[in-house]
Amino acid sequence: MIDTRTRILSLAEKTSEQSSALFDRIFAAAHSEAVYSKPVISGNHTVITASEVTSGGGFGSGGGIGPELPLSMIKKQDDEAAPHSEHVNGGGGGGIGGGGGSTGRPVAVIIIGPEGVTVKPVLDVTKIALAGVTVGIVMLTTFRKIWKVSKG
Amino acid sequence: MIRLKDQFQVQTGVAPPVTVGDVTVTPQFQAVIIRLPIGGFVWNRPTALLVEQNGQTTRFPIRDITRILLLWLLGFSLVLSIVSFIKFSRRKAIRL
Repeated sequence: MIDTRTRILSLAEKTSEQSSALFDRIFAAAHSEAVYSKPVISGNHTVITASEVTSGGGFGSGGGIGPELPLSMIKKQDDEAAPHSEHVNGGGGGGIGGGGGSTGRPVAVIIIGPEGVTVKPVLDVTKIALAGVTVGIVMLTTFRKIWKVSKG
Repeated sequence: MIRLKDQFQVQTGVAPPVTVGDVTVTPQFQAVIIRLPIGGFVWNRPTALLVEQNGQTTRFPIRDITRILLLWLLGFSLVLSIVSFIKFSRRKAIRL
């Protein structure tokens, strides 16, 4: 019983340690270094990349101890099958789990040169194309259904 | 009791300034932070540049063209769906 409790307590400690590590990683995305890159110097120009960063995660844990059995009951069961046991062990268990992820996408490129400062936006053509195709398919399906219903 | 102020935060900050010649550029960012007891979420994006030159400060906004286009696409499809639904409903009502 003591073993089970110790195990569950150590599990809770482990959960706390892992969750703080996870939080540190998630909230690291809230810093300026995550959005703006270090300046890159090329000739007369200095280039900085600006990106959008999204990060998230979560975790969960659970544990439990089984019902405490009276010693007499254990002894009775043990007498029939197994050798004597002094411990009244209700049993128990627990587990932890979690997950997370982050994404980044360049938004603009900042160029500092002799001609001044220019901000060049970055267009994610793949994202736009995928969204366009998805919207197109959904719209076509909807119109087809409407047309069929209105005809029939 | 968990307060909403602790759980949901919108932070505006600045990155270390970059000086090239007589130009000093200070990038600005905005972070949306959601803190929950079982996890968290962060959305951080660049917002603007503060350019300081010859004692004058100019603000250059950073526009996310991809997001603007995606929102336009979503808005257009929503409007089109609503219009077609209204037209279909009217036609059905006339028939009845």
